[in-house]
Amino acid sequence: MAISGAQSSGPGVSVGPTSEFSLFFRVKPGQSESLRDALNDLQQTPGYRPGDYGMAITTIHEARFVLFDDDTRLAFITSFDGPWDAYMEDFFNSGPTLALFDVIFRHAEGYDGLPDLAAEKAFILGAQQSAAAYARNYPGTVKEIRKAQRVNAAFQRVLDHPEAAAALQHPALQPLLDEAGD
Amino acid sequence: MPGNDWVTLELDDIQSGALHERPSPYVGVYLLLRIDDRAAGRELVRRLQAVVDTGTPSPDPAHDAWMTVAFTFHGLKALGVPQSSLDSFAPEFREGMAARATHLGDVGESSPEQWEKPLGTADVHVAIAVLAPDLARLEAVAERARRAHQELDGITVLWRQDCYQLPTGRTSFGFKDGIGQPGVEGSGRPPSNPHDRPLKAGEIILGYPDETGELPPMPTPDILGRNGTYVIFRKLHTNVAAYRQYLRAKAADREEEALLGAKMVGRWQGGAPLALSPERDDPDLGSDPRRNNDFLYGDDPRGFKCPVGAHARRANPRDALDTDGSVDVRLHRMIRRSTSYGPPLPDGVLEDDGADRGIIFVCVGAHIKRQFEFVKTQWLNDGIFIGAPSEADPLVGSGDGATSFTIPRRPIRRRLQDLPPFVTTRGGEYCFAPSLPAMRWLAELP
Ligand code: HEM
Repeated sequence: MAISGAQSSGPGVSVGPTSEFSLFFRVKPGQSESLRDALNDLQQTPGYRPGDYGMAITTIHEARFVLFDDDTRLAFITSFDGPWDAYMEDFFNSGPTLALFDVIFRHAEGYDGLPDLAAEKAFILGAQQSAAAYARNYPGTVKEIRKAQRVNAAFQRVLDHPEAAAALQHPALQPLLDEAGD
Repeated sequence: MPGNDWVTLELDDIQSGALHERPSPYVGVYLLLRIDDRAAGRELVRRLQAVVDTGTPSPDPAHDAWMTVAFTFHGLKALGVPQSSLDSFAPEFREGMAARATHLGDVGESSPEQWEKPLGTADVHVAIAVLAPDLARLEAVAERARRAHQELDGITVLWRQDCYQLPTGRTSFGFKDGIGQPGVEGSGRPPSNPHDRPLKAGEIILGYPDETGELPPMPTPDILGRNGTYVIFRKLHTNVAAYRQYLRAKAADREEEALLGAKMVGRWQGGAPLALSPERDDPDLGSDPRRNNDFLYGDDPRGFKCPVGAHARRANPRDALDTDGSVDVRLHRMIRRSTSYGPPLPDGVLEDDGADRGIIFVCVGAHIKRQFEFVKTQWLNDGIFIGAPSEADPLVGSGDGATSFTIPRRPIRRRLQDLPPFVTTRGGEYCFAPSLPAMRWLAELP
């Protein structure tokens, strides 16, 4: 299947400004339960708590950890703004993210853990697989989406004003009026 | 000193060009040479190593003149550097700047097919830069360079570019340049921004730990890589008339022109940063080295003082991206040693006189990819990082066509549309400036 607009920038595929990033690991024998516990704990941390919408990396659209094959394997799948290749060094220099990953990936085969950064790098890059197909349903970056949401919330507040209909009659506001009906 | 984990840089082995402030005013000359004969090439290196400048820079830059020597990948090959050593250099350096053109946005008029010869060709082997506070001292040092290469059959001077600071002390667009520089641990120079911890030495000089805590990948053998650094060199033509015409068309008066220009750069023409002086130029602030780089952007996240898309804020966002969690600005710094070339376009002239003028952009660092290339591609050519993917740097542009530029302002933002490219790449090279021992090693290759 051809996906129009999808481009490869080194490892990982991007659509517009956004890139996919997927890692696949084997769970160390006997550790699937402790890994599930670690993921449950992660789910309770700020940023991962449902409804928080505040992950430490603000350029990430979403992230998931998936246990599969009877909990013998683990996938980490995410999308973020910018090309993969340019940001890897920054990622490996980000203390909080590495610490978070450390807690999870220590249950994966081949992980020797921090503080050996070179080993950590090799481990993560070795687990990366590029998507064979990747599509997105909106073109914006996280920063643009957040701005759009703020602007829409403001617009809705304007519409809630009793004199909104009259105020929006000015010709300059026609594009907003076009969006005001529903 | 107890409790001091600063490294000691082996300054006596490091070419001064990297850590040395350029004098102001300055005159300079850049030479590009080709090595046609290996033995002559090595003799050239032997002579040059005796005359390049190293050591602790004089505390008074006005008293100094110096020479820096660097090699392209083709140059190292011409000298007969063994294949295993050649392979150990950074991939971008091995490819060369011309091969990176598409990635860097050097397309259209800026593409290598249009470059000034011999820039970007396999003929460029050695680059020599001489900088001095005045012509007399320039001549004295240039003479040392000349003695090194003249009468050597098999060495050809291909290209020469003179540069000098314009009488105004400004670059062709009218701005004071070379202000924002990172401090470097062990360099003996205090940082110009007190809010900015000096960089780990390995960000700039090979052979020392860098900001990741690791030793940067270094060419082998040790003696070749250690105390060397990569030098990025670009001839950038500035279309000053187009820039002035654009401002004239968008502004009601000279005052507004100055404001729009300052918003595009992030500093007023005299160097005063918008972050400290958002309303008007402050020449005293601009020329005071103790104050003109002493600022951050954290109090101005939306860019009402300094637009997030302004050139200097893009090129070094300081603390503005600290909460993003995805980028460590300290991995993307560089030391700039740019100079001006060509005659100034006289004040008030709006028509292009056809003269070639601009900047010899020179920057120094241990990581071509995550310093120069990252800044150029992610921060100048692109706007993803500021939530404006379609906006490129308003001054330097993306190389491929017009862009727009948003100036945050109350009650409503101003958006400049259809900014044409004001800068064209005329050519450039990735070079390696070896240490003094490395030059001796090169001269004595078996
Ligand atoms: C003709 C092209 C260019 C012109 C006219 C230009 C001009 C300027 C000016 C006027 C400043 C502000 C003064 C200062 O802090 O020194 C500046 C800062 C800077 N520019 Fe450029 N520049 C050009 C190209 C580039 C390129 C290609 C890069 C990097 C890839 C770059 C990187 C920087 C950096 C890192 C700063 C310092 C920012 C800071 O630390 O605050 N510039 N430039």
